[in-house]
Amino acid sequence: MSLIRQRLRFWITTIVMGVAFAVLMVRLASLHLGTNESLRQRVTRARTVRQTMRVGRGRILDRHGRILAMDLILHDVCADPAALLREGHHEFIGARLALMLQLEPAMVVGRLSQAGRRYVRLRRAVPDEELRAVEAMKFPHVWFEPASVRSYPYGGTACHVVGFSNVEGVGGAGIEQQFDRYLRGREGLRISEQDGLGRELYGRRLLEIAAQEGADVHLTLDLDLQEMVEAALDEALPGSGAVGGWVIVQRVRTGEILAMASRPYYDLNAYGRAPEDRRLNRAIGYVYEPGSTFKVAVIAAALDAGVVRPDQVFDCENGLWHYRGKSLRDYHPHGRLTVADILKKSSNIGAAKIALELGEVRVEEALRRFGFGRRTGVEIPGEEAGILHPRSRWTSISLTRIAMGHEVGVTSLQMLNALCAIANDGFLLRPTIVSRVTDPRGRVFRETAPEVLDRPLSAAGARRICALLERVTEPGGTGTKAAVPGFRVAGKTGTAQKPIPGGYSDDRNIASFVGVLPADRPEIGIIVVLDEPQPLRTGGAAAAPIFSTIAQRAVRHLGISPDGPPRVIDPTIEYSPPAFPESNRDSGQSL
Amino acid sequence: MWRTASILIGAVLMLLTLGIVMLASTSEALAQARYNNPNYFVIRQGIWLVVALVGALVAAKVDYHHYRWAAIPLQLFFLALLVLVVVPGVGVMVNGSRRWLRAGGLTFQPSEFTKPATVLWLAWWFDRYRRRASTLAYGLILPGIPPALMMGLVFIEPDFGATLLLAIIVGCVLFIGGARFGHLIIAAALGLSAFAFAVLHDPVRMMRVLSFLDVEKYAQKEGFHLMQGLTSFVAGGAWGAGLGNGLQKRFYLPEAHTDFIFAIIGEELGLVGTLGVLALFGTVFVCGLRIAFGAPDFFGRVIAYGLTMAITVQALINIGVVTGCLPTKGLALPFISYGGSNLLVNGLMVGILVNIARHGANDVEDEDLRDVKDRLRTL
Repeated sequence: MSLIRQRLRFWITTIVMGVAFAVLMVRLASLHLGTNESLRQRVTRARTVRQTMRVGRGRILDRHGRILAMDLILHDVCADPAALLREGHHEFIGARLALMLQLEPAMVVGRLSQAGRRYVRLRRAVPDEELRAVEAMKFPHVWFEPASVRSYPYGGTACHVVGFSNVEGVGGAGIEQQFDRYLRGREGLRISEQDGLGRELYGRRLLEIAAQEGADVHLTLDLDLQEMVEAALDEALPGSGAVGGWVIVQRVRTGEILAMASRPYYDLNAYGRAPEDRRLNRAIGYVYEPGSTFKVAVIAAALDAGVVRPDQVFDCENGLWHYRGKSLRDYHPHGRLTVADILKKSSNIGAAKIALELGEVRVEEALRRFGFGRRTGVEIPGEEAGILHPRSRWTSISLTRIAMGHEVGVTSLQMLNALCAIANDGFLLRPTIVSRVTDPRGRVFRETAPEVLDRPLSAAGARRICALLERVTEPGGTGTKAAVPGFRVAGKTGTAQKPIPGGYSDDRNIASFVGVLPADRPEIGIIVVLDEPQPLRTGGAAAAPIFSTIAQRAVRHLGISPDGPPRVIDPTIEYSPPAFPESNRDSGQSL
Repeated sequence: MWRTASILIGAVLMLLTLGIVMLASTSEALAQARYNNPNYFVIRQGIWLVVALVGALVAAKVDYHHYRWAAIPLQLFFLALLVLVVVPGVGVMVNGSRRWLRAGGLTFQPSEFTKPATVLWLAWWFDRYRRRASTLAYGLILPGIPPALMMGLVFIEPDFGATLLLAIIVGCVLFIGGARFGHLIIAAALGLSAFAFAVLHDPVRMMRVLSFLDVEKYAQKEGFHLMQGLTSFVAGGAWGAGLGNGLQKRFYLPEAHTDFIFAIIGEELGLVGTLGVLALFGTVFVCGLRIAFGAPDFFGRVIAYGLTMAITVQALINIGVVTGCLPTKGLALPFISYGGSNLLVNGLMVGILVNIARHGANDVEDEDLRDVKDRLRTL
């Protein structure tokens, strides 16, 4: 073979290899710099791992730090049906587990017989004792997964306030719903790279957002008082024959709600089984015609405006007054009454006449300033605004009806808050049930301070009406049964017939009593409302005794001192200390 | 010639350095997981590297003309070894293939050594029967019998990659030795059909070819290896993730430290790194051919050519496989992949190349004259 030909073959080799090199270069460049964005994204996705770090839900506490709602870590019992089936243990283990976990054996065995499944959750949130028993059996292919479960240690106490959160940890009612944002906390997020076996590479975290624990919500509720109130309600309700009843206890000077109870109620730990009706927080979500308690607002406005004086006399028409073609009746017929007595005896005709003196414009303005017809803004969901029609929709007799608490709808909280405004020198405060929201490290996210919504009355006017309201619980008044020994109570009874289709019912009433005490320097306001009490249907007869019971317990618990003139310690009286037997003390020392 | 040899040595040393560095980076996770010693592979490769360097030095010192007498014995020796390899109980079986022999604590792969042995055999043959090279018998059949036997033995190991590589090397040497082009084409056609037949009757190989044709479809199983290789290049981008920062080696890419180490280079050093490696192999190729071109005699020229092709074709096939241009083959990347036999053989081959370069002169006229003289002599 000639050198020339060999040289040619060298060159052929070079060219072929050169082409191969060039092809590989192009291929490499296209791979490295390629515009294959979907592949690039898939690569990134396959190699990174996102983990969300779940956090516990915050607690709900009463004003003294007692826990009303908390997260518990329990365990779910899970099993691998495919493995159990393969080893033939599914029937035995299924039967044993059903027995230990109080489940239907046929169902458990059925669920464990699914050959295609590697995972079933047999029971959620197994209590620790049962779990230990199952654990001790050491069943193969049965394991336990931690699961956090919402727990309400006090069960149904304050259930309408606390509310509940569902299995997914989302608040569904009450504070749990309203403060879900705080309670839930923020999940943490961690993005890091993982190796081919799916293990996280700790040194290669791309992003880490720390989880934020759920915050604690501190309520203004006093759990002791709450339990007293609920006990009083539960004692009284069966005897009163009422289908429902509710109570609010509020601090006059701050607007803090110390207790709020509503009946019927439900157990928060079994909220799923409670019908809708039981979940209704009637204290804020039930609108009713208030009846006589509403006279307080109208008469207070009239007195404050100077339209009437307390000793001014009105003719109460002996219980039947025809006005503009309609008749207006009093429960008990009265002749001529002063304004003070109209309030004490709760005369509808007298109140109507006072309202007429004040006039539509000023009555509507006063009522709106007392907060009727709009939500108070308390921090619980489900609050109703009540009904107070604008003046343009009033009829010619509306004023006389509104004066006696008809043609308007209120919630108990509005009614109590209005009375507290009267007791609080005319300052209408926003009722509040959450004092503050703090995180586990004590940082305060939100703190509630008393907030003045309006000032419907002057201080003098407020004191004057307060003094008049004291007479309601004195002998001769409608609310004598609301009296609290040692205390003077300013309050008002209310009895309103429930509206039924085509008019008002004769035997179904809303009976209520709203009052503050001690009357001369009020500290707490209490409203008691009964729905359809039988056979005692009036506020004075049905609601006032409950008020009295609750008030007696509340003043003792809260350490409110009785009224009466302060006793002046006479400096002229010699104070003599109790005589100690001197000899004994000496001998004690010598020993 | 000295300058060419220097460049060749430089390129090879750069490849070796890159190789040991990349091996350290690539094998750390696997070695830690498998042997609880992150340096397991690096230490072994380091020992082999020393052996290979010593071997290369020795080969560079020994006059390649002395190899003439060794051509036949070596060929017979490795043929015998290959027979031993396929004998059950003697050959070491790994992953269903019998490719290794164990001597003492070391295992080595005879098929690696068949490459230089075959080149030597063919060079000897064509040096001896130059003038009859254009005949079918002397140009193709007679020199082709021992390599064909070897290929057959390697094929039933089975090691298709090495078989194919050996076939290509033999083809190249026959080509440069003077075999007729027509004969070569017929032989290649026959060989390819035999190969295709074998592939079609082997479901594993068939799957490999199918997965090569549609990587995405088989990405989870058969194409997984290749897919992960391609992923590495994509992840590397132009500049790479940085030495040691690759993620594919962390149990995504199987055998990252052996056949697919180039993919890790792609991920960690980027386009710059892979093109650099390609350029180094290009340098080896050019230098090798220049040495062959400048060899003082026909024997040396054929040897130099054959060894150069053995190194570069293997490199190209490996890179082609890793980048998805060729179906998956178990071929190592010369100088870089983990594997002692490969390293030693490549070192020896470079040593021989350097030795040929030492004998070579730039006296091409002389060569031409000698050719003319040869012709005159035949007349």
